[in-house]
Amino acid sequence: MAETAAPVAPPDTEKKEKTDPKESRDRGYLVICWNDPVNLMDYVTHVFQTVFGWPKAKARRHMLQVHETGKSLLVRETFEKAEHYVHQLQAYGLQATMEREE
Amino acid sequence: MKFIRSQKADSAGRPLVFHISQREKVVLLATLKLYPLLDVSYHQLSRDPKTSGQAEQQWLEEAMEQQRQDHKKKLGQFFNNDRRFFKDGKDDLLFTLTGEQMEWLLRVLNEIRVGSWVRLGQPELEEARKLSLTGAQARLFTAMELSGYFQAALLEAFS
Repeated sequence: MAETAAPVAPPDTEKKEKTDPKESRDRGYLVICWNDPVNLMDYVTHVFQTVFGWPKAKARRHMLQVHETGKSLLVRETFEKAEHYVHQLQAYGLQATMEREE
Repeated sequence: MKFIRSQKADSAGRPLVFHISQREKVVLLATLKLYPLLDVSYHQLSRDPKTSGQAEQQWLEEAMEQQRQDHKKKLGQFFNNDRRFFKDGKDDLLFTLTGEQMEWLLRVLNEIRVGSWVRLGQPELEEARKLSLTGAQARLFTAMELSGYFQAALLEAFS
């Protein structure tokens, strides 16, 4: 199997594994991918793998959730990281947005 | 267009090789000439206006506009290279891409696919196939289908 491109890491993701309480509080932004009839299913799976570095099975699960339920919550992040991911996903042509968690 | 499975991309950057007919090459280049089709206003950072401000939305649109310009410039350079396609037998060609080039081409093709769909009024695809289309709409519909065809061929290399 051909390798996919290296995942696009957002700033600071590799610096710390444990999240401090403040960061946990700040992680109130949801990155959501919305369904559309035009993006190919294999393409969406590929984009999730590339942007988040997910294994294919996880990427495919989220792709199917988008397809079957109309949307999928991809990650919960700080404002900056959520914005970074939305930029990445939209650069690939997916309908992804960030929403403040209720 | 078909991925030649024996040729694997690897970390050493060896290219992926695709078999492509002369006719497919003509169609691929004609489809790519349509880029860009998607207006930057298509890109919305959030569906809830309280989540982000106007500045963040503007930044997203500027980033997408910059990407369009970069992709457009690269398209001109990339396909002006005579060595992009190699002869393979009497009528057919080989087309090589590095992994990075393939990622880029997938994005460009997807922009054409999504942009065509948006210009068609964002229809459900099955409905769109039953519509009687004007000439301009038929060209957009064809671009949408063809870009999807080439995307699927490229994605074969990742399967």
